[in-house]
Amino acid sequence: MMDFSLSPEQLELVERAREFTKEWIAPKALEYDRSGEFPLEICREAFKQGFMNPHVPVEYGGTPQTVLDHCLVLEEMCTGCSGISTAIDANGLSQYPVILAGTDDQKRRFLAPMTEELRFSAYAVTEPEAGSDVSRVKTNATKVGSDYVLNGVKWWITNGSVASWYFVLARCEDKPTAFIVPADTPGVIRGPKEINLGQHASNTVRVTLEDVKVAAKNRLGEEGDGFSIAMKTFDHTRPGVASGANGITKAALNIALSYAKRRRTFDKKLISNQGISFKLAEMMTRLDAARYLTYKAAWLFDRGQNNAREAAEAKWFAADVAMSAAIECAQVLGGYGFTTEMPAEKLIRDAKIYQIYEGATEIQKMIIVGKLMRMKEVF
Amino acid sequence: MIGDVRRLVAKIAEKFKRRFYGRTFHCPVCHVELAMVDADGNRLMVCPLCGVVLDVEEVYGHVVPVVLEVELYRPQPKMRIHPLVTHVPIGLFPFAVLGAGALILASVLGPWAPGLGPWLANAPLVADATLVLLALSVGLSVLTFASGLWDWRRRYRGRPYWQIRLKIVFSVLFLMLGGIAIALHASGAVFQASTGLVDVASPMAIGLAAVELGALLLGMVVIATLGHVGGTLVFGR
Repeated sequence: MMDFSLSPEQLELVERAREFTKEWIAPKALEYDRSGEFPLEICREAFKQGFMNPHVPVEYGGTPQTVLDHCLVLEEMCTGCSGISTAIDANGLSQYPVILAGTDDQKRRFLAPMTEELRFSAYAVTEPEAGSDVSRVKTNATKVGSDYVLNGVKWWITNGSVASWYFVLARCEDKPTAFIVPADTPGVIRGPKEINLGQHASNTVRVTLEDVKVAAKNRLGEEGDGFSIAMKTFDHTRPGVASGANGITKAALNIALSYAKRRRTFDKKLISNQGISFKLAEMMTRLDAARYLTYKAAWLFDRGQNNAREAAEAKWFAADVAMSAAIECAQVLGGYGFTTEMPAEKLIRDAKIYQIYEGATEIQKMIIVGKLMRMKEVF
Repeated sequence: MIGDVRRLVAKIAEKFKRRFYGRTFHCPVCHVELAMVDADGNRLMVCPLCGVVLDVEEVYGHVVPVVLEVELYRPQPKMRIHPLVTHVPIGLFPFAVLGAGALILASVLGPWAPGLGPWLANAPLVADATLVLLALSVGLSVLTFASGLWDWRRRYRGRPYWQIRLKIVFSVLFLMLGGIAIALHASGAVFQASTGLVDVASPMAIGLAAVELGALLLGMVVIATLGHVGGTLVFGR
């Protein structure tokens, strides 16, 4: 049996997220985009309304959502501003490795406090020479007695300036190993905020580790488990990233539709021109297709099934759809789409990162092909 | 430091705008800031600066203004009294504040700095000059206010704009603050007619001097805001 409908609880959750987006995120999107400030005030409100840390289990003070629920919320929030939503949601990326591989003590020390007050954490894996190819990370972990000493540079770390701890992937005797590094550890140096193309409200920085002493009790899993922990995290988080991209597509469609229904050209409404109306029809269809891929990937994860291929499909497809929808939105708006006073140009800038972060589009395709190669027949 | 002050002022102004005018957006043509509440029942409004007719809709929290028309022929301000006369209060008032501030400072420092003696001899003259500047700036601001209202009725056809509402409220406030400062200054209760200085031995005189200085400083903030908002109506962002 197939059922495409959302439960009453999910509908209520979507409604709450939509109200939060309309009241708190969208009206301030332009302001934070221009200032590049971290949206602390909005994060505080998101925390109050229960939109942060949706992965933390109940026993550690959380009110966990399913991945599908989380996707529904993210789509709403990213319709308002994907930069602000990234700031709100980035905790999840670093929390999930702890949920996946952490001990009870680690979960109590690092997850529980995040449900008691507003705190941030960051996923510090990418390095200047290791982006898509995570296995190339060079950050070194040297065992000294029962502790480790970490040295290296982590790059493009989301929420890096505000995090109270980091999930760090380092090499210990050439084995990728995962650590939880409190941000106040001596030797943790946060760089300045990067000025990126889009998502200006999202805080992205360089984090340098200089002789950072990490206790063995802060190692996640065994030595050598780091790569699989880091990768398994993505099976959980990629549907969420795809939802963010769907939020951008939805914003682009809404803006283009509103504009096309009211603007007049050649003595008729813009939407009456077939060239424009077909663009809207295509945007809507692509959004639906991207949503179904996303929901399927989330649903599989929630059922405990492997979703690596579906998550990769959703992330790749939704990102491409968001990019094309943002560009088409600007095209529908004509010259106004190119000005900074209208929301279309921001959508273009914000959409681009979805084709890059949490595994570039090409990496997603590699994952899909990798799965195909193990199949004899595709059903 | 200056950047921090600017950011702080911008934050306060933003909260003020949100509190009193709700959601704002920028005209896509001339970039002047407009308030959603100023659109009429059909979601239409005319940009006060560039004259485009905007259809404004909020979609998913994003404001999407659509340009439908442009008001090409707009009535010009009659005799251009407001733009001319508005610069007189703005130009004179800061000097009145400076004069009152200098007199208060001299009153406090006078007993401790005998070297100021020759300068203090001129204090009554400074006090009188300050009063004249105050009277001129506040008096002419009445004309500025009236001509501004006239222009609003004529050039902007009495349409609601948050800038105009703010200007009306702040103009009334400025007249009140200026009136208080003039009354205190002219009564001689703050600056003695014989010395031109504050009697620092009298707690009453010190208290009234603080009130006058407070009114003048607040008046500076008000008149600066009036000038800034008026400027955006003429030159845009």
